[in-house]
Amino acid sequence: MAADTRGVGRRARRGDEPERTFQWVVPKGRKASVYEDITLDTQPSVHRFLQNGYFVSFPDGRGTWDDASTALDAMWSAFRDPNELWERPYYQQGAQCEKEIEAAVKGARADGLLADVDPDWVAFLRRDGQVPAFFEHGIWAIATRRSRAALSDVLTHGIVLYAAMKQRQAQALVIEGMDLDEDFGDITIEAAKERWMREEAWQGTRRCVERMGTITDWGELVFVSGMVVEPLLGGLLRRELLLRPALAAADPVTPTVARNAQREGLWWSDFAQAFTRFVLADEAHGEGNRGRLQAWHADWEPEVMAAVDALEPVFDAAPGADFARGRDRVRTDHETLLAAVGMTETAPA
Amino acid sequence: MAPQQNRRRSVTKTHDRVAQLGWEREYHQPVPIYDTRYVFPETAKDPMKQVMREYLPMQLEKDERVYGGFDAALRASMPQKADERWLEVMKPLILVLVFAEGAAGRCMSVLMDVVPNEELLNGYHVQFVDEVRHIGMQMNLARWYAKNTPDPAGWHNGQEYMANNLITRAGVNMFSHSFTGDPIAAGFTMMTVIETAFTNVAFVALPDVGTRNGDFIQATTYSSVQSDEARHISNGYATMLTMLQKDENVPLIERDLQQAWWTVHSWVDPFVGSIMEYFSTDRSDKENYLQKWDRWIRDDWYRSYVEQLGKMGVNVPPAMFDRARERLVNGLHHKTAPLAYAMWPLNFWKFDPLTQKDFDWFEETSPGWYDEYGATWEAYAALADPAEEALLLGGLLEGAPPMCWSCMLACVIDEDMCHRVCKDAHGEDRTRFYCSPECRWIDESNPGRYTGDRNFFDRHHGKALSELIIESKLIRSDGKTLVGQPHLRTDQMWTIDDIRKCDFTVTSPNITTAEAMGLPSGSWHDPTDPYGAVNGDGNGTAAGRNSFKTMAALADDAVVNPLTEDRVNAAVGSTPWVAL
Repeated sequence: MAADTRGVGRRARRGDEPERTFQWVVPKGRKASVYEDITLDTQPSVHRFLQNGYFVSFPDGRGTWDDASTALDAMWSAFRDPNELWERPYYQQGAQCEKEIEAAVKGARADGLLADVDPDWVAFLRRDGQVPAFFEHGIWAIATRRSRAALSDVLTHGIVLYAAMKQRQAQALVIEGMDLDEDFGDITIEAAKERWMREEAWQGTRRCVERMGTITDWGELVFVSGMVVEPLLGGLLRRELLLRPALAAADPVTPTVARNAQREGLWWSDFAQAFTRFVLADEAHGEGNRGRLQAWHADWEPEVMAAVDALEPVFDAAPGADFARGRDRVRTDHETLLAAVGMTETAPA
Repeated sequence: MAPQQNRRRSVTKTHDRVAQLGWEREYHQPVPIYDTRYVFPETAKDPMKQVMREYLPMQLEKDERVYGGFDAALRASMPQKADERWLEVMKPLILVLVFAEGAAGRCMSVLMDVVPNEELLNGYHVQFVDEVRHIGMQMNLARWYAKNTPDPAGWHNGQEYMANNLITRAGVNMFSHSFTGDPIAAGFTMMTVIETAFTNVAFVALPDVGTRNGDFIQATTYSSVQSDEARHISNGYATMLTMLQKDENVPLIERDLQQAWWTVHSWVDPFVGSIMEYFSTDRSDKENYLQKWDRWIRDDWYRSYVEQLGKMGVNVPPAMFDRARERLVNGLHHKTAPLAYAMWPLNFWKFDPLTQKDFDWFEETSPGWYDEYGATWEAYAALADPAEEALLLGGLLEGAPPMCWSCMLACVIDEDMCHRVCKDAHGEDRTRFYCSPECRWIDESNPGRYTGDRNFFDRHHGKALSELIIESKLIRSDGKTLVGQPHLRTDQMWTIDDIRKCDFTVTSPNITTAEAMGLPSGSWHDPTDPYGAVNGDGNGTAAGRNSFKTMAALADDAVVNPLTEDRVNAAVGSTPWVAL
């Protein structure tokens, strides 16, 4: 009897009620993802819904947002992060990174693994192990400043989370130094800062990061960081200088720090590639965008490579590091990236 | 097991090390894209000492509790148990607060662009990440309401409605002050006024009302948001203390704090006051909005914070604060609420007529309320049935006050209303109305700030209401029933045909008031502009585009007005203004 009456009065299935879905969301696929539902159009613009223009403007006439904030042109509301990162998975992944690093330090101490680390590698860690933190921190500083001007919620959130990852990576290197200082002694941030500020081999990298601070175009920041600086210089520092030699030196901590940074780096690489493909594919502005990207690449790639080449002495003093092979690998990575987005003509000869 | 594995890392030492990551640039100096009038001292203090190693797991834990709460609320059948009057008003509230969270995040970015003190930057950035979290949580809340509450209509096109609705777009206007213009002034607007003064009302007192109405998931979400606000308030205080180190900043702080206060008050108080008092069915709380305001804003913010700034040389005249309170005493939100209700066909949520129980509560908590407003509410209830073929809007819009140019809400306090005549971009005289002399001062002293087609009704003047409803996509998926309704019943729902039967034509009170007073046109709508704005739509001009100018370069154009005695007097009312 109860079974006969249970369905009576039950409202229609939720799927039958169009008002139960966010109809303003234009999904990339057949159905909107959670990421799309909670991110899209949280930053309204005159191109999406603000039918009456911007209500508040800057004294110089720029509106709340400004289409001229980038030299690139596209329908920005259509761009999507291919990995659909939003706050919840961001905190899950970020917290997991930190948990793994903490576990690596605790485990190494508990099992006495630090005693096995190559003493020459420890000497390298004292000298240069924390210096890449300044590279990551410098990129954080510009990324977070340019996030506000980006012309869609997806872009703004992507740049903010990229900045947050850079800050986490920088701090993880400093905290690693602090932890290892307790075990090995004489690993200070002051010494690392002195190397960053004065050691000739690091000056190309510092010059490059400081120049990134002059970028006023958020589109340039996404492209230059994701398609030029990170694959060449970031990859060289994290993977070739820290990760590979640390594994060879029986260092139980540094590989965890570097690998987590690389894992986050893959997300930004995907983001930047998707961004590049997106602006190149724009029907009306694709060719103009290509010219702009090529100009940025031509402008930045030589300086980034000069910074890479200047690091050779740092590699020479790091046991297990192979500068020539590392350089070849990051060059190959870079060329592969450019090919993947259809910018092979930009690749250096 | 080696004993050292249990060693705890010192938070202070960790922060001291991490703080050394900043350095003096030597090869290239950072190039800002925003500009400020403020000058910066050599040193500042990091108020938060937040390191990602602690921050990330802490936020994850808080997230887990909130998202777990969504599941718990479903299992407890909260969508069916919570009061529907309350659930309806969540539609505009949540969506405009999502915009506010985005504004707060972007505020941090503009601050970082101009603040050179490394000590403050980490706190700002962590706040931006917090704001991304708040957007995610609150949009998940919106999504949860849409999927589970009795009537989802309105949620389905929420962001588009929010950007154009006459009430919430005024919120977009207000929150835009916190990331547009001088970054430090924007920072004070967000951190010192919105977050320090008003989040206690919006994120603590308001969820309490929600809980009383059976909605505990809203409280779960906003309590988690508020736990981050404590850090954001610290950011604001650290910014204030940093700026106070330079005497030349003091007059700027005094001016900007007053203007920020008024800008925020003039939208938040009528909006939140109306929600708190008019959208609660539960009447167990005998404290009215003004009493809560006295507790959270007067005692906890004005007396404990703003007045204390006097010891540090900041002289914020009490008049701006007293005037805001006086407007509440004079019924700012009580006079605004009937207009919002009468405009129900243009809103994307439903309105529940007040009952005798509501009348009793209002009379008990605000004696004299019934004599002042009771007849309007009885008329509203009587016209909720479409069979009446009449709209309260008809009577109200005819004699409605004009919309304020600065805060974009109706000028409901008669004795405060004022206006001025300005040249438009084509050299023609037009009239701007203001809800108060303070709003007029803010417009006058910030030329060029207010753009867009600001007076809601100007562009629709002379249009059939049914046409405006259709244009605004305020029809449900059945093709005839309106999204907004003047009651909560599932029968007697208004359709577009019912509206047509009322044969109502929209008029702009700004146009009709200017005509009645013999003033130049009150319309600021330009049908030839892509966004309908006579005075610029915020998209720059052909000459102005790509031409970022510093504030110093603009000083000759008097864009930055110094604080003068006259301005203060105008703000506090000693200078006569033209009252309507």
